[in-house]
Amino acid sequence: MAEAAVRLTGVTKSFGAHTAVSDLDLEIPRGAILGLLGPNGSGKTTTIRMMMAILVPDRGTVELFGGFPDFARRSRVGYLPEERGVYEKMKVLEQLVFLGEIRGLDRRLVRKRAMEWLERLELGEWAAKKVQALSKGMQQKVQFIGTVLHNPDLLILDEPFSGLDPINQEVLESIVLEQRERGSTILFSTHLMEQAERLCERVCLISKSRKVLDGNLREIKRRERSGVVAVEFEGDDRWLARLGVTEIERVGYAHHLTLNPRVDGDRILAAAVAEGVRLRRFELLEPTLREIFVRHAGDAAEEPALMAAGGAR
Amino acid sequence: MKTAWRQVWGVLRREYVERVKTKGFVFSTIAIPVLMLGMMGLMAFMAVRTEQSQRRLALVDFTGQLGEEVSRRIEAAGYDLEIVDAQVGMEELDRRVVEDEIEAYVVLDDLTLREGAFAYRSRGSPGRIRGALLESIVVETVLERRLSATESAAGVRELLGGGRMSFERLGGEERSEAEEVSGIATGFAGVMILYISMLLYGQFVLRSVLDEKRNRVVEVVISTVTPGRLMLGKILGVGAMGMTQLGIWAACAVLIGLVGVPMLAANLPAEADLSQLVGVLPGVGALGLLLVYFILGFFLYSSLFAAVGAMCSTEEEAQQANFPVIMLLIVPFMLQMFSLEADAFPWMDWAALFPFFSPIMMFPRAASGAAPWWMVGLSLLFMAIALGATAWVAGRIYRVGILMQGKRPTLRELVRWVREA
Repeated sequence: MAEAAVRLTGVTKSFGAHTAVSDLDLEIPRGAILGLLGPNGSGKTTTIRMMMAILVPDRGTVELFGGFPDFARRSRVGYLPEERGVYEKMKVLEQLVFLGEIRGLDRRLVRKRAMEWLERLELGEWAAKKVQALSKGMQQKVQFIGTVLHNPDLLILDEPFSGLDPINQEVLESIVLEQRERGSTILFSTHLMEQAERLCERVCLISKSRKVLDGNLREIKRRERSGVVAVEFEGDDRWLARLGVTEIERVGYAHHLTLNPRVDGDRILAAAVAEGVRLRRFELLEPTLREIFVRHAGDAAEEPALMAAGGAR
Repeated sequence: MKTAWRQVWGVLRREYVERVKTKGFVFSTIAIPVLMLGMMGLMAFMAVRTEQSQRRLALVDFTGQLGEEVSRRIEAAGYDLEIVDAQVGMEELDRRVVEDEIEAYVVLDDLTLREGAFAYRSRGSPGRIRGALLESIVVETVLERRLSATESAAGVRELLGGGRMSFERLGGEERSEAEEVSGIATGFAGVMILYISMLLYGQFVLRSVLDEKRNRVVEVVISTVTPGRLMLGKILGVGAMGMTQLGIWAACAVLIGLVGVPMLAANLPAEADLSQLVGVLPGVGALGLLLVYFILGFFLYSSLFAAVGAMCSTEEEAQQANFPVIMLLIVPFMLQMFSLEADAFPWMDWAALFPFFSPIMMFPRAASGAAPWWMVGLSLLFMAIALGATAWVAGRIYRVGILMQGKRPTLRELVRWVREA
């Protein structure tokens, strides 16, 4: 088996009395796209900073491409920090050329490539402007270009989409997916569950410095069945009452039935057929990532934090 | 190895280009010499101007012996002078001064004949130039008058022309007087250049490190460039900018010397001997030495400033942490200013061997020939050693510091950084 792009083993990091990351194991196989999810302050950024050797873990080991994250390995990474750092006084194109140059690329080549990227992200006319003249969102796009400019083998993006309008979010999402097509491994952190659901193949959920869950998103969902069946049908709904289902919720045209040990999906389907109900829809609902997260974090207090964070951005 | 230099070069280039392109650089390069020349010119102009604008003087001679000769000399010096009859009386003259008809008047009396004392009466002070001029005119006239009877008058007059001390340094290599003057002038100018440039360019390094750290660009840069290369590239880049600026100034100075001085010479009366001026210009050796001290000194201080920048997170913190390093520059500067007046403290020669003091204290000693060559060599050796040690320590502080956010480290934490980095 090929070595993992990233492997964390028993990583712990504290700042004074506060434990930011506690005993974290995480493996990202090559070519995977993984979302690191959790509310603000759950340790996402600390984890990422340890991957980039900006922070040294108190305990545990961090490996990139099967070894210590030294300069040679780190130069294969495209890293977008959470705090947007740019040389404000530099011109946009010059800044990108510099970022390419220190990664060992030829200046002329980078210039050409950077210009192509700028055109693509509709920043072409800003190439000769100083970075500080750009809006925050535009600066973020410039910075993003800086992370993919050298075609890295691994992209580590800390909240790459926050602060962007939906159109630009989509553009960036498509680039991220494209980078993955190219063979790059991708890790990005977000607190937007819906986005992770859309993009990720794998997720790692952390809460209060601890890992809650990680793995393949589809498998997780299969495992984490919601136990809710949605049915839509024509005609009388009195047959539902006879099923022995205690929770029935009307959602639009559908009824959401919460299953219990005595009543499973098959039983409902059989009852519908027996009653001669004209079924339009019968679906075993998958839980949303948010629901899974709340279930596993086991702490309802997390939910408002997620909602607030999701709503604010 | 190749990528290493490419990275250093990339950082250097960015640092250099971004600085040289700024309006601040262009402005300071032009403005500083213009300002300095302008100030000097203005001061000279003001001195001449005030001296010439108020020149209506009167003279009352109660002795009846000195008036004619004194007034001839005062007029020869360019003043508008009126000899007033002793009968007029001082009340009348006082009134004319108060009513601004004349600016001042000079009173010669018996005391003048005896002691050379005389009164100058005006509303404003005579100023230093006029005071000295009048004094020398009066004293010379009185002396001549008293000596006129004797045969030696001619010889005495020559003596009155003013004393001239020639200084010969013993125990060093032999130098002409022009070389001696040149050495002292070069030393003085060198101290100013070294002090200002190390301080100024050192601050640029600090600011650059701090900015990069504050806006977190450093986190991206450091993911591929080792801290050592980043720091080196940065210092080299700022250094290159400094050299560019100093080079432009030097070129201007040479241009003024080659074009300006002959032009000046053509317009000056014949007796002004400009060959003396040429003699004062520094030699190639002294300039080379200045360059060596600048380079070593700049690197030495820049690494310290880089470390200071790396351990701070805010401008205010940096200003505080800056202080000890700046003191390290100010102390030798002060000591050097003292020793310009007198070589009276032999321990200062030894203080000049302290690597952080050497640029400012040893260069002028070397330029003026006050320090033997072995001492100069020793100071360079010490500086090189100190540079190695400082760069090592500063590099370690830098490496840890640039990624550290939050409070400034205590001294103990700093020691730990250096040990563990």
